[in-house]
Amino acid sequence: MNDDLHHLAAAYALDALSVDERRAFEAHYPGCDICSSEVDDYRAVAGELARATAEEPPPALFGQVIAQIENTRQVSAIEESNDVSGPRRAIPGWGYGVLAAAAALLLVVVGVVAINGTSDDSPTDEFAAILAQPDAELASLAGEGTGSLTVVWSPSQGRLGVSGEGVAAVDDGRTYELWLLDDTGARPAGLFRPDESGRVVLVTDLEGQPGGWGVTIEPESGSPQPTGDILFAAEV
Amino acid sequence: MDAVNPLRRLRSVSAAEPPEDGLTACMQRAGRGDHGAVAQLYDELSAMVFGIVRRVVRDPARTEEITQEVFVEMWRLAPRYDRSRGSVRSWVSTIAHRRAVDTVRSDQSARDRDQREAARQPVDHDEVAEGVIDRFDQDRVKRALGTLTEGQREAIELAYYGGHTYREVAVLLDCAEGTVKTRIRDGLIHLRDEMGVTA
Repeated sequence: MNDDLHHLAAAYALDALSVDERRAFEAHYPGCDICSSEVDDYRAVAGELARATAEEPPPALFGQVIAQIENTRQVSAIEESNDVSGPRRAIPGWGYGVLAAAAALLLVVVGVVAINGTSDDSPTDEFAAILAQPDAELASLAGEGTGSLTVVWSPSQGRLGVSGEGVAAVDDGRTYELWLLDDTGARPAGLFRPDESGRVVLVTDLEGQPGGWGVTIEPESGSPQPTGDILFAAEV
Repeated sequence: MDAVNPLRRLRSVSAAEPPEDGLTACMQRAGRGDHGAVAQLYDELSAMVFGIVRRVVRDPARTEEITQEVFVEMWRLAPRYDRSRGSVRSWVSTIAHRRAVDTVRSDQSARDRDQREAARQPVDHDEVAEGVIDRFDQDRVKRALGTLTEGQREAIELAYYGGHTYREVAVLLDCAEGTVKTRIRDGLIHLRDEMGVTA
């Protein structure tokens, strides 16, 4: 399957892939040196193609842009990792720098990194794809609950991932529920249960703009609003 | 597999590479929250953004909206811009093209657009003559496109300027999907070498 993905690099750089193919390729290429450098090259060519159709916009547009950026928050800068003993595979992303050590550790938990540098595991590839987005964010959740939970998300990709370690089991007929917290309150964001070793891996769509995250225990098909105590939480 | 830790290699590349052009320095200032830097970037890049969005999206009102969105996104992501992965122009044109394409893909009448597109020459001089301001760039690209095979040129023009997926291009050109993928790839490699483009 990876062979087919290599051949998508040029079409990807021209935005000529379908939604599913784009998603699959974005899960693949950050960890593939050949595809990454090909995509950079092809994008540079595409940039030249874009110059050829340059056209002056209406003058009023400038003021509108400046006004809007004054109300727009920037993403945080990504620190370079000083952890040279960490994962051997760099996740350069859609242009941007190197992951912070926290995010790199996350990938180890999720099992993205294998000794031979490849992974065929689909949820872990999806995790890498989220982290590879230029606007990827990460939040570590804390609270009374047992274990550690991390949420990663990308507004531009519209996806979120939850990773957990040592998370306490829930009773039969119950589940953990993730809540996206914003001005309107708490919104259902996903359900998950840890495996026998307390690991959690969930990838799902992101709906909304998180101001924070919370986790409660709910009946197994979830609840529309939290009924249990908040066991893990984070502010964004 | 490369024995050198890729994290270390990436760090040393970006440390060795000083900003080469004013745009890079500008983007770095924008990344630190400098609104004035955005004004300079807009000055330099708005015609490129507006032009490629217009070419793909066609509708003038939507083009203005999307152009604005592109600069807001550029501002939002500026703190993470990394020169070692590409020039400022390349990065911003990528944001612009992606947004334009996503807009037309969700267009209900995309099918109709395909029909109209099939009949016309993608880079249409008469249509863009009014607003095109950079003859030099346009001629340079046109010359380079002229060195491709007809199949490569058509595939790239339909995909990039037309905003089509390679599958749609295969339908429009009545050839195999694999052929289209190959033509796009070979054509881009040739353009890269012809125009002396580096990432």
